[in-house]
Parts: sequence; C-alpha cells; structure tokens
Amino acid sequence: MWINMGPQHPMTHGLWNLRVKIDGELITDCDPEMGYLHRGIEKISEDRHYNEVITLMDRTCYVAGFAWEHLYVLAAEEALHIQPPERAEYLRTLCEEFQRIGSHLMWYAAFVQDIGLMSPFLYGMRDRDLVLDLFQSYTGARMTYEYMRVGGVRNDLPPGFTGHARKVLDWLSDRFVEYDRLCLGSDIFRKRCDGLGVLSAADCVATGVTGPMLRSAGVKRDVRRDRPYAAYPQLDFDVAVADGADVTARYLVRMEEMRQSVRLLRQVLDWLDHHPGPVLADRLPRWLGAPYAPVGKEEYVLKRNYPKGVGFSSIEEPHGEAQAYVVNEGSEHPYRVKFRSPVFANLSATRHYLVGYRVADIPPIMGSVDICVGEVDR
Amino acid sequence: MSSLSLYGVSFDLVHLLLTSIGSVLPYPLDAWITNGTLVLVLSVLVFAAILLAASMINTIVLIWWERKLLGRFMDRRGAMHVGYAGLLQNFADGLKLFRKHTFKPAEADTLGFFSGPTAYMVTSMILFGVLPISTGWNSGSLPLSLLLALAIFSFAPLFIFVSAWSSNNKYSLMGGMRSAAQMIAYEVPLLLAVVAVVIVSGSFDLTTIVTEQQNYWFWGPLFLALVVFVAGMLAEMERIPFDLPEAEAELVEGWNTEYGGMLFAFFMLADYLRGLVGSFLVVLLFLGGWTMPSWVPGALTNFPLAGIFWFLVKTYLVFGLFVWIRASLPRVRTDQLLRVGWNRMIPLSLAAVFLAAALVTVKCLPVFGCLPSPGV
Repeated sequence: MWINMGPQHPMTHGLWNLRVKIDGELITDCDPEMGYLHRGIEKISEDRHYNEVITLMDRTCYVAGFAWEHLYVLAAEEALHIQPPERAEYLRTLCEEFQRIGSHLMWYAAFVQDIGLMSPFLYGMRDRDLVLDLFQSYTGARMTYEYMRVGGVRNDLPPGFTGHARKVLDWLSDRFVEYDRLCLGSDIFRKRCDGLGVLSAADCVATGVTGPMLRSAGVKRDVRRDRPYAAYPQLDFDVAVADGADVTARYLVRMEEMRQSVRLLRQVLDWLDHHPGPVLADRLPRWLGAPYAPVGKEEYVLKRNYPKGVGFSSIEEPHGEAQAYVVNEGSEHPYRVKFRSPVFANLSATRHYLVGYRVADIPPIMGSVDICVGEVDR
Repeated sequence: MSSLSLYGVSFDLVHLLLTSIGSVLPYPLDAWITNGTLVLVLSVLVFAAILLAASMINTIVLIWWERKLLGRFMDRRGAMHVGYAGLLQNFADGLKLFRKHTFKPAEADTLGFFSGPTAYMVTSMILFGVLPISTGWNSGSLPLSLLLALAIFSFAPLFIFVSAWSSNNKYSLMGGMRSAAQMIAYEVPLLLAVVAVVIVSGSFDLTTIVTEQQNYWFWGPLFLALVVFVAGMLAEMERIPFDLPEAEAELVEGWNTEYGGMLFAFFMLADYLRGLVGSFLVVLLFLGGWTMPSWVPGALTNFPLAGIFWFLVKTYLVFGLFVWIRASLPRVRTDQLLRVGWNRMIPLSLAAVFLAAALVTVKCLPVFGCLPSPGV
C-alpha cells in the first residue's frame, strides 16, 4: 500500500511529499517528491542587482538565512573581485555560527516533537528566541536579515552587543547539558533512536549526503576546516563526528556542533572587542545595490565595462555543504546564479536510510535529517 | 449521616415539583401528574441531566487543568485570556467546535462515520454514571459495579475501529488497527491488576472496595498492582507515551484524522472523560476513594460534600501525574509497546495477583497493619 506523507503532513516540516510503500508497519519502498516550494530563486537572481539577491537568500532557507547570505556573498565577491574588510569577515562568521546554533535549536525542537517529547520542543524554541533576539539587535530582523553585502556587511554591532551575546552563550551552554539529559537520559528516547536510519559512510559519499549526516557516519568532513573561508582559518575548533550513522549519532553530532559553535563564537567576540574597523569595503561600484529593475525594462540593464569573473563558494551550512556559483559577465546583474542545496541531496537519498524500518520510525529518521524545504526547492 | 443518594435527591425534587404543580390543577390532571410512573421517568431524566452536566463540567475543567499543568512544565503559562486564568478557554473552544460544519468525506461510510464517535461518547458518559464519587453520589448500589465499569471501558476499541475504518482513510485505518491492538493488549494486565484489588477487598462493588480502605489505602500493599494499573490506564487512555494510535508525527491524527467540528469534539471529550474515569478508578481502587486517613483533622473531612471534594482533589492529582508523564516522555513504537504489554506487563500483573493472594493469606503485615477479612 502506497501512502502519501505530504505535501501537508506533520512529519514533512515543510512542503514536500514522501511516498511510502508499506507492508503492515514495514516500509518496503519510498519515493521523495520535491518541488512544491519552487520559487525560481536562481532565475529571479539573474534579473536583480548583486545586493538585491541577498533578499532572496534569506528566503532560501528560512531557518538559516545568514548561512545562505554568506554563501552567496562569498561567491559574488569572488566573481566581482572584491575583498571585504577583515572585521566584516569576523562579523559574518559571528552571524553564521549564531545561525548554526539557531538552526540546530530549531532542528532539536522539531525532532523531539516528532518522537513525542513535548516539553523540550518548547525549550528549544525558547532558547532559539534568545539567538533571534541577538539577530534583531543588530540587523533589525529575526529571520530575514538582509544584513550582508557584497563587500562587507551593512552595519556594525550596536554597543554592548558582545557582553549580551556572551551571556546568551553561557545560558545556552548550560541548556545543552539539560537537553542531553532530557533525551539521552531517557530510555524510551534511546529505544526510538538507536540503530535507526543507518546510512553508512560509503552510501553517504555515493549519494552526496553531507553535513551532520555524513559526520555521524564517522567521516571527518567539514568545509570550515577543509576549505576555510571568512575568519575560520584564524579560529580554533574541532569537527564534530560520531560513529553509528544512526539517528542518535546525528543527534550527538548536532549537539557537539552547537558546543563547538559556542567555542567559536567566544573567540569571535573576543576578536571583535579588540579590533574596530570598517565593515564595508571602500570604493564599491554604486550599481551593486541599485533599484530593482522590473522584467522587460531592458534599458536598466546596462552593460558595464566591469572585469568579468566567475565566483564559486562552498560553506558548511547548518544542514550540510552548500555551494554557490555566480557568473559575472560585466553587467550589473549576475549572469547566472546556481546553488547546491545539501538538504536536496540528503532527501534524495531517502531510499537508502528509510527502507526496512517501520512507519513509526519515519518521524525520528526524517527528523534527524533536518529538512529545510525552502532550500531544497529554491 | 443518612445515605442520601443522587438519585434519591432527583426523585425528591421531581416529586416535590410535581405535587406542587398538581395541587393547583383541577381533578383529572392532578391525579395524572402526580402518578408514580411520571415521577419515576422524570426523576430518571433529571438524574441523567445532573450526571451529564457534572461529567461535562469536570471534563472541561480537566482539560483546563492539563493545559495549565503542561504550560508550567513547558516554561509557559497555558491558556490565559478567556476567563480568569483561562478557565473559560475550553468552553470557548467547545462552542467554536459546536458551530463548525460537520464534514464527512465523500467516500466515508455514513453509518459508521457518525455512529462511531457517538457510541464512543455515549459509552464514556455511561462510565461516569456508573462510578460512585461519594457515599451520596452513586447510581445505586450495584454489586458488580467494578466489572460493569471495566466492561464498558473496553467497548472503546470497537467504536474507534469502526470510526477509523469507515473514514476510508489510510492513516485512520492504521491508527484504528494500532488502537485496537494496543487496547486489547493492555486490557489484560489492567484487569489482572484489578483482580488483585478484588482479592484483597473481597468485593466487585466499588463502594465496598472504598469502605474496605477506611483504615489504610491499598496503594501501599498493592503497589505493584498500582503500577501495572496506571501503565495500563495510560495505554487505554492513549496518552503519551502510549499515544501511538493518534501519533501526530506519522499518522497525522490517527483514527480521528477525518473528523472535524462536533464529531472531533466528541472524540476529544470522550478521551478526556475516559481520562477522568481512569483517574477515578485509580482513586477508587488504590487511593481510598472519598475516605481520608484518620490523622487528617476532622475539620477537613466533616464539612458538607467533603467526600466529593476530597475525591476530586485526589482525581485531579492523579490526572496531574498523567500530565506530568505526558510532558516528560517520548512516544514508544507499536511493536515496542506490544512487546512490553505481552512480555512484561502480564507477568507483572500476575505477580501482583499472587502478591495480593499471599497478603490475604498472611492477613497481618508489620508495615501495613491487618487487612480486612474478605467480604462474605
């Protein structure tokens, strides 16, 4: 019997459809269907000025907006031959790591809710709110920040931010202990998660699965370490890995990543305290942020004699390894923008880690994937 | 104090009302209106109306209690806006559901779709009527009231399965299957735990069981039975960690996926009614019902309706325990649940039965004092 889990289903955490073939409670086959949330972000980007694409990046993944802004900005800077100031790079690292914590807390909340734990769901959301409050204090927005710019960031931190951020980090470090006690300390939790959704390292590589799912299989792969960008070369952190490749291992990896993010953020905040400076590069082309040109008004699309270039960036997004490719043909719009979404690959491999388990295992397994459909469909 | 029963009160009320009406009516009418049959029929109806009102109010307050408790466990406040501390929130929710259009999927079976929730609701309400709440509040002395209550309690899987199947929805069907399997599996340990109580008290009459607990409550000597009973009750009530028939994450809402409006409210109310009745049973069988220990000062136990008051206090505390469990445990899987049910709970409940039998044989225990001799 085929059943459609989605597009509207509590398990999906977004808008996609998991078709499952079941025999009693046993899953014998499955087929993920994506595309319900396709907004054509890559195509729209070709019609926008470079800085206007950042608005779309926030909407690409609504729980990790900063990561996608960062990804695009890095590729665009390479394509446009622009070097951001050092302080901007640290600020971006700050954004990305706080975003990682925020995104993982969101994942934690959704994941425990999937296996029926009600209270930790609200604990996760409560603590994520503290991170969002921090974002609000320096970008003005809680989810769609529009903060990064090609060539730097929009504005510097408000006074007193670093002290407040450190308090939040202290609070969060204590909460991580509590989370572990609530989940790993519970026998039912272990019974629901141990040995489920196993995806071996070889399968991960074969299917292009990245991020915490790959690291939970014991593969020490992290773009921040292997292909460092922004301020990561100067920072000290460990790559979180676990053995087992199951749901529990993914839980452990994400928890450890949040701890590592706290560690990274403490270093970043210390650096920011002692190194004031500009946050936006000098003498940027003015047309980077010119008004949006409606489709069809071709006269706006001026051919600038700007040096052509191609930009590629790859970052460790909370969900996995995201990549961007931006082609600059010398006009004020990017000629082509292409993204690689990690969740798309992670979801496409569903058949490898879902078949053979039971219907009741679908929520914990899919919850451990950490789905963000916005970036799957773009 | 005379044993003033609820039915007696309603009978007296109706009798008084009819005789006073009859006294102002002319000859043929006054004789007709004060005749015994009419009084009897009307008093039964009044009795049922009182039970209905009491059960509904209790259920709704119970939902409020759960929401407030859950809120506190989750670091929030729960319902706050309608009425004082959100007390009227559930009445507002109920009214909203009442006003909604009752929707039936085109492919659903009409008879089963509508009769399922109705029967579920009705049997749950009968349960409320069967159980005694105090010496006065009972629907007459039934010698086998415990058996009757449990028999009605175990109707539920049938009606759930009927409504699930007739919804013609795959999620509903799976939820209904799970529900039936789970309830049948946990019925057995539940009944065996009750047998332990019956052995010690020597009666199937709930009123007698409570009076047997006058000196000490059964939860101490029959602790094993209490544990089994509470776990079985959790499964019967389909609450977390045993709420997999309506596991939201994978089955949307399980067997009530297709229900909306008042039919959904029926399921909701009946679920909480069963929760209430389950807590009643725990209080009646293990926590001394409406009696209080002798060391409690007389001022606290001798006011009017003290029995009902203490009974409800205990009930709400027991339900609070269920809420606490719900707030802190994840959901188990069907096969795990059934394995625990057949492999662990049944041996445990058998052990509880043997323990109870041993206790009755030994009669006196150093810690718990002497047991009452089983009724004749």
